[in-house]
Amino acid sequence: MGLLEKQFEENVLTTKVDWLLNWCRLSSIWPMTFGLACCAIEMMAVGCAHHDIDRFGAGAFRASPRQADLMIVAGTVNFKMAERIKRLYDQMPSPKYAIAMGACATGGGPYYKYGYTVVKGVDRVIPVDVYIAGCPPRPEALLEGLMKLQEKIQASSVIRKPLRTA
Amino acid sequence: MDFQVIYDRIRSIKAPGVIGCDEPREPNPEDKKDKGRFGDSFVLVEPERLPEFLECVRDDALLKFELMADLSATDPSKDDENLWINVQLLSLTHKHRLAVKCFLPKANPVMPTSAPVHRGAQWAERECGEMYGITFEGHPDPRNILLPEDWIGAPMRKDYEYPEEYHGISCK
Repeated sequence: MGLLEKQFEENVLTTKVDWLLNWCRLSSIWPMTFGLACCAIEMMAVGCAHHDIDRFGAGAFRASPRQADLMIVAGTVNFKMAERIKRLYDQMPSPKYAIAMGACATGGGPYYKYGYTVVKGVDRVIPVDVYIAGCPPRPEALLEGLMKLQEKIQASSVIRKPLRTA
Repeated sequence: MDFQVIYDRIRSIKAPGVIGCDEPREPNPEDKKDKGRFGDSFVLVEPERLPEFLECVRDDALLKFELMADLSATDPSKDDENLWINVQLLSLTHKHRLAVKCFLPKANPVMPTSAPVHRGAQWAERECGEMYGITFEGHPDPRNILLPEDWIGAPMRKDYEYPEEYHGISCK
């Protein structure tokens, strides 16, 4: 149930509170370090000075899933790694988001036809919010993906409707 | 020492298991079917005697192949009934190299391990074992090195089909 559902009529106060909570959430998305392969280099480039991810508030990469909001799956996912990804995604507290960065995480990438141990897209393992295409995507593409995620968070309603459960 | 000198030395010390040797040759202009063979000259050895052969060439004073640079396998084609084991040896004292090959029948891909002779062979044999389905008898630690532990099948064989799914995740 929403936090204040049916206690007040929907009015300007709840929308403003929602807007504020969403703004707080989207301005401080802390990602978890999850660079698996080559896309990790582009993610590191995004974290560095030129394409700065810290100006979006997302510069504090946390090493532990329990302290992170976002899992950027950057790189190829094998079957061996897929089990660990599921476990780490389950350890993240809600509200949590996942970005599939690059061709391998989106749909298997160059390994789609002959890669026998590659999972053809990380969305076979965890629910993904934003997909970023590219091999590897430019740092600006990752930032645009982050901005799309921020738009998605802005559109969600915390007070007025049920909390996201997964 | 070039290849013929090394081969003559191997023959003269009577290293165990040697069947013959093969050198690269140009394609024959008269015979269209003979496309020649490119690559290195190699010594052909029986697979059952490979560890003894390696130990013999490692210890001989003139050959002294102390380093096994690589041990890998090849599946040449679906019709061929043998797998190839390719070993690359290097001598650090004399600075020469040797390629050794074994033909292992696909029907019974079992051979003794070279791990007691060269420690570097341990991981190389684990990889060949899981990728081609070769069993190395006497190997101290024959688990999978790259693939997950419960993977079925030998992926590098030419007749490999992928499984439908693994642990609930679809493979196709």
